[in-house]
Amino acid sequence: MEYILKNGIVYDPANEIKGEKKDVCFKDGKIVEDVSAAAKEIDVTDKIVMPAGVDTHAHVAGPKLVLGRLYRPEDSRRGVTQKTKNERGESGFSIPSCPTTGYRYSRMGYGTVCEAAMPPLEAKHTHEEICIIPNIDINPLTLFGNNWFILEMARENKIDEMAAFISAWLKITKGYGVKIVNPCGSEAWGWGMNVHGYDDKPPYFDVTSREVVRALAKANEKLGLPHSIHIHPNDLGHPGNTNTTIETLDSLKDIVKSNSKAASVRDQIVHCTHMQFHSYTGTNWRDAGSGAEEVAKFLNHNKHVTGDIGQVTLDETTTMTADAPMEYDLYQLSGLKWVNADIECETAAGIIPCIYSPKTPVSTLQWAIGLELFLLTKDPWQINLTTDHPNAGPFTRYPRIISWLMSAPKRISMIENGEVHNWAEKRTSLATLDREYDFYDIATITRASNARVHGFTDRGNLSVGSNADIAVYDLEPNNFDPSKDPEAVEKAFSRAKYTIKDGQIMVQDGEIVSTKPSQVLWTNVKGIEDQEKAVLDQVMPFFTQYYSVKWENYKVHDHFLSNPIRVDVEMEGK
Amino acid sequence: MKTITFDVKKRNQIALEMDEVIPDKIYSWEAEDFDKYAVPVGNSRFPITDFFDITVEGTADSPAEVKMIFNGDCGRVKYIGNKMSAGEIIVNGDADLHVGAEMSGGAITVHGNCEAHAGREMTGGTLEIFGNTKEFTGASYIGEWRGMRGGKITVHGNAGKQCGECLVGGHIHVKGDCDILAGIHMRKGLIEIDGNVNRWPGGQMKNGNIIIRGRLGRLLEGFVEEEIVTNPVINGIEFDGTFIKYKGDIALKGKGHLYIDAEKNRDKLSAWEDEDDEYISLGDNRLR
Repeated sequence: MEYILKNGIVYDPANEIKGEKKDVCFKDGKIVEDVSAAAKEIDVTDKIVMPAGVDTHAHVAGPKLVLGRLYRPEDSRRGVTQKTKNERGESGFSIPSCPTTGYRYSRMGYGTVCEAAMPPLEAKHTHEEICIIPNIDINPLTLFGNNWFILEMARENKIDEMAAFISAWLKITKGYGVKIVNPCGSEAWGWGMNVHGYDDKPPYFDVTSREVVRALAKANEKLGLPHSIHIHPNDLGHPGNTNTTIETLDSLKDIVKSNSKAASVRDQIVHCTHMQFHSYTGTNWRDAGSGAEEVAKFLNHNKHVTGDIGQVTLDETTTMTADAPMEYDLYQLSGLKWVNADIECETAAGIIPCIYSPKTPVSTLQWAIGLELFLLTKDPWQINLTTDHPNAGPFTRYPRIISWLMSAPKRISMIENGEVHNWAEKRTSLATLDREYDFYDIATITRASNARVHGFTDRGNLSVGSNADIAVYDLEPNNFDPSKDPEAVEKAFSRAKYTIKDGQIMVQDGEIVSTKPSQVLWTNVKGIEDQEKAVLDQVMPFFTQYYSVKWENYKVHDHFLSNPIRVDVEMEGK
Repeated sequence: MKTITFDVKKRNQIALEMDEVIPDKIYSWEAEDFDKYAVPVGNSRFPITDFFDITVEGTADSPAEVKMIFNGDCGRVKYIGNKMSAGEIIVNGDADLHVGAEMSGGAITVHGNCEAHAGREMTGGTLEIFGNTKEFTGASYIGEWRGMRGGKITVHGNAGKQCGECLVGGHIHVKGDCDILAGIHMRKGLIEIDGNVNRWPGGQMKNGNIIIRGRLGRLLEGFVEEEIVTNPVINGIEFDGTFIKYKGDIALKGKGHLYIDAEKNRDKLSAWEDEDDEYISLGDNRLR
């Protein structure tokens, strides 16, 4: 089937198209140069046309989502809708049901989402959930930062073995890339402890976070994976953690980026996630302040780093992370119900509800720091829009964040009218920042940069041959000032006029008109099979002795995958 | 004033959900609007007229001018008065789950029994139930940590388990008996129980008041005797009689108060072994 989107105002940062009036053609799920006269014409005259959104970091599938839904039935009752001809019933606000997740991303014009934390032991479960999330493609990142085998290899600086281990575990878990969460800290939590700073060690492993992160970064580049290491640094959410964040990112600047074809798409060596949670100054919450300026300055001078923000949306939400000791700290602060879990030999997890109230100083400070990071980072290609869904707020608030970024008067009015606590004014520079994003910048931080960070070439752009993943929004940018009408921006980005995924129209006028099964993207490194076999032989005695599951039940078999897209990577030097 | 009467035709096996049929939403509806309306039943919708004979009399310009009367067995009709802010609802029969849930104003009267979650998370208005209620009267939704915040619930019969769970305001008055864990996790507000209480009222309460005029089966260890009080005034209401006043739940450093009738619960007094008729030695003994 051939289609032509007529006369849209196209924003495609990957091809440096900045608001040009032109047609976009697609055929059989791919963007094409031209179509025949028989093509179906869709009139989008003067409307915004962008590639479909790519979410760099969210938690949408996996055991902690299920646990969150089970222990927060009060969240599931929000946003309940009855089933329609095209949709199953929806439920949930911060932890929506699986089908709801797909529908809501589609409505916002998104097509691809990165599931940011997949414990290898729970990979099967994660893939099962991905199977029932419709409409979006999902690339899950496998957790490595506290894996016992990795800690041992890092201690002995066995980079080659670690690379083979990562490659094998990506195949076993059907993961896309390397995720690191509070390196060594989640392991320390197994003993009721945490690590503090970048050079601390967990009990019984004579290795520091620094050694683990550097080793993983080297192994990642040795393999030439499409995505860089994706790190959630130590000391998340602790006042004064700016130093740890910068120290972590700075320690990786000497690492040489791979020359492999897959890795050449991206610019970074490291992707730092939810940077807002890692940009605090002070020694405790009484004297806490913003470290956004320092972190943004570091980003502006170091191109080996990209990041996403994890913008606080000032909602009641659910926090869930593999940084289990941090969740315990949060539990100590709020006293709300708390879930703690251990994933044997691999990682940990915690869940706790969180109320980011605009009336409280800390929540407001976090909100302001996130916006400061957006506004102080000069190159939009280095930052991505996320809320670390659901940790800082649900992904459905992306349109609201876009409206804040596009309207300085809106931000100022929130501060001046007391909609947020006065810490925003007293402890951050947000009130002095008058920068406003334009639609080109928004397209960069929500799709183009995000795709590049993950090494995608087939999405996040409107190049000929790319997937026909397209979003059309009901705004006429040539006749509209987003600075003056932020509410209209939020409304338009909440309900896409059209969302097209692989050439199929999923959303029309904000309503789901069709669905399609999700696809999972995973990375297959070629040319390292012998080393993988050797490392498997090496770890198998330990695995057999200590894991509570059998190897045969550990692996994610093909029938667990939802329409897989295998990303083949030729290892560098092969 | 507009009076809308719903005469139950039949008791449906699957519950009807009436949260869209509240004064706030239907004050301008005429009979033909009801003819067109389909009510959620399970995962589908069916014409509301399949289940009720509906008559509309008078006119209303606001929800406050609406009176809804349900005649018959509404034991499979959920969410009666859910989220209403004004107006009046009278149920001449039983009501199903969530009657008056999240209501913020107006009045609901049920001349029958109610299923669980009556008055759940209500913030205002009055809910009067002449029969019994099941679990979670005036409580929070499952998993939620904020229950009823305002308004008044009066139960003329007995109340089920966890009445007033997570209460953060308002007044619950149970004229009959109360099952276990009344006022668990409560932080504010008043629970008044005229009858007997099974056991463990006020578990993990942080603040607020519970007053029990009947006999208490068993008290949690987290409550310490403070004093004997006569005709105490709680939340501006004077309660006749002599009560043993406890503070708790100390396990959570709670500052709530539990009052139980001293006459009917003399065995609870720490001075019980020493004293027969008077409680004067309590002050000396309470710290033992």
